[in-house]
Amino acid sequence: MKELTRRGFLGTGATAMGLWGLGARPLFAADKTLNVTAYGGVWEKAIRTCFVAPFEQKTGAKATVALGGPSQWLAQVEANPEHPPLDVLIMTPDLAVTAAQKGLMDDFTVEKLPNLKDIPKKFTDACLGKGTYFDYGVGGITYDKRKVKNPPKGFKEFVDRVSKGEFVASVPSISYAPAPIFFIWAMNHALGGTVENADPFFDAMKKMKSNLVFWAGPNDFFNDLASGEADLGIYFDGRTWNYVDQGVKWIDFINPEEGGAMTAVAVQKPVHASDLAWDYLNEMLAAQNQSKFADILNYGVTNTQVKYSTKLAPRVTPIDKTLMPPYADLAKVRNAWVDRWNREVGH
Amino acid sequence: MERAPSAVAFASGPRLRRVLLLAPAVLFLLVFFVMPLLSDMARSVAPLQGGTKLTLHRYVAFLSDPFYLWVTAETLIVSSVVTVISILIGYPVAYLLVRKAGRWSGLIVFMLIAPLMTSIIMRTFGWQVLFARQGLVNEWLVQDLHILSARLRWFGSPGLAIAALVHVLVPFAVLSIASVLQGVDKRLEEGAMMLGASPLRTFWEVTLPLTFDGIGTGAILVFMIANGSFVTFVLLGGGFQTLPLMIYQQFNTTRDFDLASTMSTILLVIAVACLWLQLRLVRRKGT
Repeated sequence: MKELTRRGFLGTGATAMGLWGLGARPLFAADKTLNVTAYGGVWEKAIRTCFVAPFEQKTGAKATVALGGPSQWLAQVEANPEHPPLDVLIMTPDLAVTAAQKGLMDDFTVEKLPNLKDIPKKFTDACLGKGTYFDYGVGGITYDKRKVKNPPKGFKEFVDRVSKGEFVASVPSISYAPAPIFFIWAMNHALGGTVENADPFFDAMKKMKSNLVFWAGPNDFFNDLASGEADLGIYFDGRTWNYVDQGVKWIDFINPEEGGAMTAVAVQKPVHASDLAWDYLNEMLAAQNQSKFADILNYGVTNTQVKYSTKLAPRVTPIDKTLMPPYADLAKVRNAWVDRWNREVGH
Repeated sequence: MERAPSAVAFASGPRLRRVLLLAPAVLFLLVFFVMPLLSDMARSVAPLQGGTKLTLHRYVAFLSDPFYLWVTAETLIVSSVVTVISILIGYPVAYLLVRKAGRWSGLIVFMLIAPLMTSIIMRTFGWQVLFARQGLVNEWLVQDLHILSARLRWFGSPGLAIAALVHVLVPFAVLSIASVLQGVDKRLEEGAMMLGASPLRTFWEVTLPLTFDGIGTGAILVFMIANGSFVTFVLLGGGFQTLPLMIYQQFNTTRDFDLASTMSTILLVIAVACLWLQLRLVRRKGT
């Protein structure tokens, strides 16, 4: 058997290190490569088709798409803010505020982003000027038409009827990051609560608890309905319409009469990210690209020049029919709400 | 041809060679296991906001809060229940596999391992479909067999998650026990029976004690995997909280990484305590 010699060992080691080094090079983004982010599934497809493709065509640069979630992406930027591994972040509105407050994100101005002029200013203000919303959905009531002939019109009716055992409802679990906003805040608001006083929501949960199941991720909700575990639940408009388009004709969506929470998707650029990010972001805010994006995802978009297709127009809840949560205030109470949920609902 | 003196010394030094052969694995573990663990522990004692001194505050807060203690206890109780059931189911299967299956043993091993070839999410979803309120099991119990008058809600308690975990983990128990059972000399059992012991007594006083090591190893393996289990509780737990779920929540929802690190370290201590138990069991057998 061949024996290991010092020369052999060092040679093999050097080759391995060299190969590793070569392999690692793309991580330190080349000048003409942008690292952008997307949720998985149809989202990724829409991001590639509607934003990455026009960006690459116009700039000649390449964009790689990192899949994951806002919390993970923000942690990556926090770990290395001087050399962020990502150039464009998709964020939940509350995390966008957190990131802005920590000084990790760049200012959004019309000078850098000409298409920002068509985005309502309140969406940029909601990100403290360091980002904006480009897409939104509404959290409301999705129900199985075969079982629920007379669905609740709003959150109050939902709570009453679920508490009485008329339905089993599938609601988001606290492990689903946006739950404190589109579920806790929206229902609490509808029941007369405030950011400072979430008692109405937690009292309602106690009443409903024996008739609730919890979904941890958006796909679980559909499984709950499809498997017959739940009759209705709290879900998003766009995702409901996606299922309808896939041939699931037995579900429908209601925007609660008290108003569903606008669940926006923010976009931000880390301070030291590549300047190419501005070109990409400008594509994300362009009316024609957002229009295509909306058509694929069935969600509303924020550019005021967008004309929705005839299929989508009746489905999208107009911005003025949604409630915009006070994200900055919610960021302050979110952890306390999560802790209270754990203690009062989680068991 | 004579080799260069340095090469000879290098190759012939068994100690140095052992060190060099171990180096890649040790380096890998240091970088991807030990360093992250140390970083995690350091984060758990990091100064509080505005402070400068290392602190055990998070541990004190966690360990003095009845809610967190209860979550930890529940995590341990559920893992213990999964372990006991897995061993109770796994032992007879292992016995059958080693002592009775003969040429069918290959098939049994395949059947044991086959479920592990599908994703845990798919298997968990299968449980969801079977035990849903309008699912197959309720359909049988209520409509076909008329055993129940109303459909049961299985998802509100940890019972279904325990059953699903047992389903996943029984193969680990079987394989651990079977490997030890295989080493038990059949002549010892035959000898006991020749001396008048009944098959049950032979099993109880000869076979079982000789397989304690396999039971111990299987139990530790099952317990530790159940203890860190995440997906099954997320999908089937029905709001039931365990320590891994709380850790995920701290990362994903509240972004309180320091508390998550504290919880992770506590979970790690529990895992290390289990390994220590296993070592004690093995050493006891060796003496």
